[in-house]
Amino acid sequence: MALDSTAESTIVSAAPAAPDERVLAVRDLSVEIRRGDRVVRPVSGVSLDLHRGETLGIVGETGSGKSMTGLALMGMLPAGGRVTAGSIDFGGTELVGLPAPAYRRIRGNDMAMVFQDSLTALNPTRRIGEQVAEPVRWHQGLSRRAARQRAEEMLALVGIPRPRERMDDHPHQLSGGMRQRVMIAMALVCEPKVVIADEPTTALDVTIQAEILDLLDDLRVRLGMAMILVTHDMGVIARHADRVGVMYAGRLAETGPTTALFELTRHRYTQALLASIPSLTHDRGEELHSIGGAPPDLSAAPVGCAFAPRCTAVTERCRTEQPAVVAEGSHAFACWNPASGPVEHATTRLAAPARIGVEHDGPRLRVVDLHREYPAGHGAWFGPRRTVKAVSGVTFDVAAGETFGLVGESGCGKSSLGRMLVALDRPTAGEVVFEGRSLTAMRSRELGAHRARLQMMFQDSSAALDPRMRIGAILREPLAIQGIGSRAERTATARDLLADVGLPSAVLERFPHELSGGQRQRVALARALALDPTVLVADEPVSALDVSIRSQVLNLMRRLQGERGLSSVVISHDLAVVRYLSDRVGVMYLGRLVETGPAEEVYAAPAHPYTAGLLAAVPEISSMPRDQRVGRVRGDLPSPIDPPSGCRFRTRCPLATERCAEVEPRLEEVGPGHQVACHFPLQPVVRPSHNGGA
Amino acid sequence: MAWYIVRRLAVSVVVLLGISAVVFFLLHLVSDSPGRVVLGQRASPEAVAAFDHEHGFDRPVVVQYVSYLGQLLQGDLGRSYKLNQDVSTLLQQNAARSAMLSLAGLVLALVIAVPLGILQAVKRNSVVDRVATGAAYVLYATPAFLLGLVLIAVFSQQLDLLPAEASQSHSPWVVFTDPRSMALPVVTIAVTSIAIFSQYQRSSALDQLGQDYIRVARAKGLPERLVLTRHLLRNACLPLITLVGTMIPLLLAGNLIVESLFNYSGLGLLFLNSLHREDYPVLLAYTLIGGVLTVVGNFIADIAVALADRRIELAS
Repeated sequence: MALDSTAESTIVSAAPAAPDERVLAVRDLSVEIRRGDRVVRPVSGVSLDLHRGETLGIVGETGSGKSMTGLALMGMLPAGGRVTAGSIDFGGTELVGLPAPAYRRIRGNDMAMVFQDSLTALNPTRRIGEQVAEPVRWHQGLSRRAARQRAEEMLALVGIPRPRERMDDHPHQLSGGMRQRVMIAMALVCEPKVVIADEPTTALDVTIQAEILDLLDDLRVRLGMAMILVTHDMGVIARHADRVGVMYAGRLAETGPTTALFELTRHRYTQALLASIPSLTHDRGEELHSIGGAPPDLSAAPVGCAFAPRCTAVTERCRTEQPAVVAEGSHAFACWNPASGPVEHATTRLAAPARIGVEHDGPRLRVVDLHREYPAGHGAWFGPRRTVKAVSGVTFDVAAGETFGLVGESGCGKSSLGRMLVALDRPTAGEVVFEGRSLTAMRSRELGAHRARLQMMFQDSSAALDPRMRIGAILREPLAIQGIGSRAERTATARDLLADVGLPSAVLERFPHELSGGQRQRVALARALALDPTVLVADEPVSALDVSIRSQVLNLMRRLQGERGLSSVVISHDLAVVRYLSDRVGVMYLGRLVETGPAEEVYAAPAHPYTAGLLAAVPEISSMPRDQRVGRVRGDLPSPIDPPSGCRFRTRCPLATERCAEVEPRLEEVGPGHQVACHFPLQPVVRPSHNGGA
Repeated sequence: MAWYIVRRLAVSVVVLLGISAVVFFLLHLVSDSPGRVVLGQRASPEAVAAFDHEHGFDRPVVVQYVSYLGQLLQGDLGRSYKLNQDVSTLLQQNAARSAMLSLAGLVLALVIAVPLGILQAVKRNSVVDRVATGAAYVLYATPAFLLGLVLIAVFSQQLDLLPAEASQSHSPWVVFTDPRSMALPVVTIAVTSIAIFSQYQRSSALDQLGQDYIRVARAKGLPERLVLTRHLLRNACLPLITLVGTMIPLLLAGNLIVESLFNYSGLGLLFLNSLHREDYPVLLAYTLIGGVLTVVGNFIADIAVALADRRIELAS
């Protein structure tokens, strides 16, 4: 597996690790959290070193202890948490047991943390200038004016345009990417020696993610910091970390230089994890490798290797004896039966999709020039009423048994579109035609009968399942509403559905909160399938799931799509997920489809600069050929209240000319079934024409 | 926001018109003719009729209402025939005193309840938190008159620390000039509010403590004191602003009991006495003031929340 850790980022390689300058040395760190009678050990015996100028990536799934390790270093464990053993040597200062006032002088000053972007990561009622200036005022005793000056410089450094004007903005006035820049400015304003970035880009779009990670790399070099990058995303690690630590169940399973670790994977968990990630070049005919089971409960005292119950190479020794750490140079791992390299190809071919339930000609679902606008209030005092143009003229078909994928950045209108497809929302103009009949024209009673055939699966299964209903009741409800079968028959159907999604029938009696995220998403899928729909719209079906669970659900969705001859629309910001699930894809930008075509073709030879830019922004473990004419997409999505004239992408397009501002491009063929709306497509247009848009 | 204010003002006018109409017609339904009320049971029917005719009370109710509205627009709230004074003069004397009493109670309640609620949230499920929550429930369930009587019995009669009667001075500033005699009335008003406010503040602070920006503030190395005052306080108080706005008319009602209990001449006592005297113009004006305060309280609260929290766009 070739490693492309420096793609698009000239800075990473420019930062040589200076092994003599060790800024942080953690030895045998263990943490426990006590909540009432329950004791959880999220971190057990973690040892790591961090040198000046380097980035150490810590990767793992939810509950692996990666974030807790970061918080332990910051001395910010949650209530009931404490370090039970080990030491943290920070440039000669022992941090374990350091008195609170002394710790506070280090926190935010010599060691800082960048958190995941969320709407409330910044104080919503204080101006961003004040918030950035706060650490310098507190730690370095700067005057209000000097601190403000410093904050402004810092905002400029993190790439906030016109920082002086932005200083007095409130956080809600900034986009997600800008907020995360402010967060970074806040963490780095005191020029710390070590910065811990905990999932710094998880909530962001790939385009913004790439910019933020490059920014962190750049600042790390400029300010001479060391960085710990905590993430669940192997691609981010591959591109941005010098060394990696893979965590599982509170322990470091494997550590080593990034290149070595990905090329010569030793721990069975790392190996399986890497194989379960869908990539942009994955052969769609093959099932994803999937790790069975779920991560262990960390409140139980561990015996043997924590990964043993899920490991395919498990032996008796693994179950009884904690594996010792073996070092091979700078590469260390804790596994009794180490692998040598990436997972061997012993993959399962997916069966060709069945074509069942096709009872009429033409596409099963047809979307015709669909528009949706939402009122957005007034822009100014006594200003005119504005509208958000969420979807502006989208047209596509989905055939029986076909899966259509919709990708695009958040705010591009893909979810609004999805809701209209299943008639949860009505379009402002245009129509959705289902099996030859317009849903848009139907009255609500008639629509009710059709709803059974149109089902939706949501991203957040913990919110989409009623917390006070047992799983059995959740699965029976749609059947009861449509008046299908007796109670006993409905229970039998519910049991069959659970079996279909790979859950035991005991789950019927459980409540949603008693299930894991992956199990809940399976239930959500089962519920969507309860009425035997012909169309399934899945909005970010696996975004909330961990990597190892994600591949289980993705494989399941692929299998059920094939078996049931479902027509699906998969909506996701994750390009690899969409590619794995979809036969055809549509790329959305600001409410319009800019490119559509067969999935593999669009990914291999994107014709729209936006598609190419999106693909280039995806951090991949393995390198893939990229179109050199366009870099990755930069900047923020323009406002859908006031979209740019002509081609909507022109404001971010490296190829844009005046023509793009004046004439809106129409979809044109660049291959069989492959269309693009661009005046300067990256692939030649099939039918020579005048590119007329007038 | 401009549209919002314009629309809210327009709606307020309609609401107040409605309130005035309902109260006006209700009072006409329940009362004898004003002439009878003013002249007494022994006055001759002719005298009563003459009085009513002279003051226009024999006209149809709707006509009387319209002319009443006309007077209102000129700031004329009518005339108390019992006291032979303009209602507006009566109200002016008492409104300021009532407002001062309520305001003092409100400020005292906030000064205690806001920190208490935050303390409870920070030390949630501790002994302090549980005792405070228990006390809040008991106090919230205690009627003001009972509480006032208990306070009088303890502080005035048993301990002889404070007078049982409020100051009889006519200045609205008595809260400051004679704090000893005003202590018990102010405390009585404050206690019930403290119980509500602190519980509200507790749950709001708990919400905010779970937000990411608190963790970010701690990661800056700020001591907990500054995390709470600089970051938590303002955000945690936002829901309270709305509550205080809606509580303003309730405070007026609270005054009714406290003022009569401590014999403090304010709007509440005036209302109570007017009720006994069947002095309808005063009752009508008092009810209208209640309506105005409700509308204005909510309005101020909405604007204040929007100013304190820039995320809120007041939609029209």
